[in-house]
Amino acid sequence: MEQNRSPIALGTESVWRLLLQYAIPSVIAMTASSLYNIIDSIFIGQGVGPLAISGLAITFPLMNLSAAFGTLVGVGGATLMSLRLGQKDYSSANQILGNSFVLNILFGLIYTVIVLLFLNPILYFFGASSETIPYAREYMVVISLGNFITHLYFGQNAMLRATGDPKKSMYLTIGSVIINIIFAPLFIYGFKWGIRGAALATIIAQASMLIVQIKIFSNKKSFIHLQKGIFKLKRKIVVDSLSIGMAPFLMNAVSCVIVILINQGLIRYGGDFHVGAYGIINRFAFLFVMIIMGLNQGMQPIAGYNYGAKQTDRVNKVLKYTVLLATGVGTLGFLISEFFPHAVASIFTTDQTLIKLAVPGLQIVFLFYPIIGFQMVTSNFFQSIGQPKKAIFMSLSRQLIFLLPGLLILPQYFGVNGIWYSLPVADLLSSIIAVYMLTTQYRKSTIKL
Amino acid sequence: MDQKYIINIGRQLGSGGRQIGEKLASKLGISFYDKELIQIASQESGLGKEFFEKFDESNSHSIFGGLFGLRGTFTDEIYSNSYLNNETLFRIQSDVIRKLAEQESCIFVGRCADYVLKDYPRCLNVFITANIDDRIKRVAEKEHMPENKAKDLIEKTDKKRSGYYNYYSNKVWGAAESYHLCINSSLLGIEGTVTFILQLVEKKFSVSAK
Repeated sequence: MEQNRSPIALGTESVWRLLLQYAIPSVIAMTASSLYNIIDSIFIGQGVGPLAISGLAITFPLMNLSAAFGTLVGVGGATLMSLRLGQKDYSSANQILGNSFVLNILFGLIYTVIVLLFLNPILYFFGASSETIPYAREYMVVISLGNFITHLYFGQNAMLRATGDPKKSMYLTIGSVIINIIFAPLFIYGFKWGIRGAALATIIAQASMLIVQIKIFSNKKSFIHLQKGIFKLKRKIVVDSLSIGMAPFLMNAVSCVIVILINQGLIRYGGDFHVGAYGIINRFAFLFVMIIMGLNQGMQPIAGYNYGAKQTDRVNKVLKYTVLLATGVGTLGFLISEFFPHAVASIFTTDQTLIKLAVPGLQIVFLFYPIIGFQMVTSNFFQSIGQPKKAIFMSLSRQLIFLLPGLLILPQYFGVNGIWYSLPVADLLSSIIAVYMLTTQYRKSTIKL
Repeated sequence: MDQKYIINIGRQLGSGGRQIGEKLASKLGISFYDKELIQIASQESGLGKEFFEKFDESNSHSIFGGLFGLRGTFTDEIYSNSYLNNETLFRIQSDVIRKLAEQESCIFVGRCADYVLKDYPRCLNVFITANIDDRIKRVAEKEHMPENKAKDLIEKTDKKRSGYYNYYSNKVWGAAESYHLCINSSLLGIEGTVTFILQLVEKKFSVSAK
């Protein structure tokens, strides 16, 4: 089979250098994002109390859901924006900017109304108890009211990337983290506003970055800027955006459901402090997962292009290197959690009961983290080479297919530890599937050659 | 004939659009691009032909089609990074169309060429239909299939093409607003339609056919 020689850098430059070049900005942005969540949790855990962290953990699914709606609008808008910019169709591109703005506000407000109207029943359903619900309520009321700001902020960030300004969006992400770090301790320790202070700091950080974004998009000199007439909703743009965004939305909704089940299980078989422990574990694990996602984003264009250009040696290389890096990240998480769980938990709280519950949780949940790097990269690999169905299946295998039955069955035999066990079990089984799918893929392509 | 001009032909399956395009091209002495675009796009980009063929003129974005036409990762971070997604392939193909249009006068069939070249002043956008019976007959003969199968193929292809066009361009496939001229080839027959369009081309672009 002839190998097409391409002039483009993706096909010719050193794979290592390309991977680092593409991955590093993503990794930085992802790390900043997850650090933000961790720092929030630290301030709440240390500054307010152990029950506050439990209250916070109860709100995770609601925040996931909000992010899901944001993605529903954002992915579609960004995709359409790229499409129109590629055709230099600036009038359509501006309309997409405006429509996306309006949709973000619209979905943001709908969410706010529904959540605030049914806040108590929702929180109880998510696993709150009479002890934790005051914290969860305090946090959620502020977050819900500011939800449209959150949507706009993330949506505009996506637009910045789509209009070819990924650096700016990265700086904005970092900026929001910094502002949050400044205000959260001020509000919590200084003004003694408790968990409400943490929520307020988050919203203020996003609002300040939103102002910067609006300023950027108000520059009349650039092709794409906010102007009159672009805010009228056009049926075609709305329908196209939502169809494109439906898939990521559903994936987000799935992870939301899973967190609800976890919290419900923890409350049923354990108690509030178990929910708090999950809050700590989830936030810490998220850091490593996000970094691996950043690596995946770096791999995508390299793998995709070279697969299309039939340069299989380069495809194999980039897959290998990314798996290597991701495994390193996962293993780091594993080592820290297995050997220093007490230290990790102590960062988030001083409460001994909470720490005592978080320690075994950390050790169990991180058990197979050395191999989830492989699983996540392989899943994303299939997406990069244009086989999204397999990618979805693999993602679901780790996040739903094995996890769901585990969460329902294991606690009946192992009590609350069953909830912890179901996570590494899902990790292991989904990794086995990943091995199978990857070897099948390679067997198929060697036969073709 | 110093100034370049472009003719973009949108067509229903079985309307004879391709034939008409080919005859026009030969009479005017200019290049003709239909499926040939795929080969050129593949060469220019280095990506395999099959990727362009799979995405060619098909409907990629129904609500549930979107489920399996994922681009980017399924996280809050929206990154259209994959090279093999439909939008990138479309952009590569459009770049090819623009490049060819810069070089010489030509005729493009389908592939939203009229939208891609919307900023080019000397473009004639034509949409060719035909009576359904003529379409069925033509497709049945060309594809060597019975007429009822031909009818199914026509319906399916119309849906695919309109989905493709409506998504990538900002216009509506087959609607009079989207084109300069819509003509039913059953009216004058293939040769008659070619002559008719030729007259329009000669008038608009001040050129003469051989």
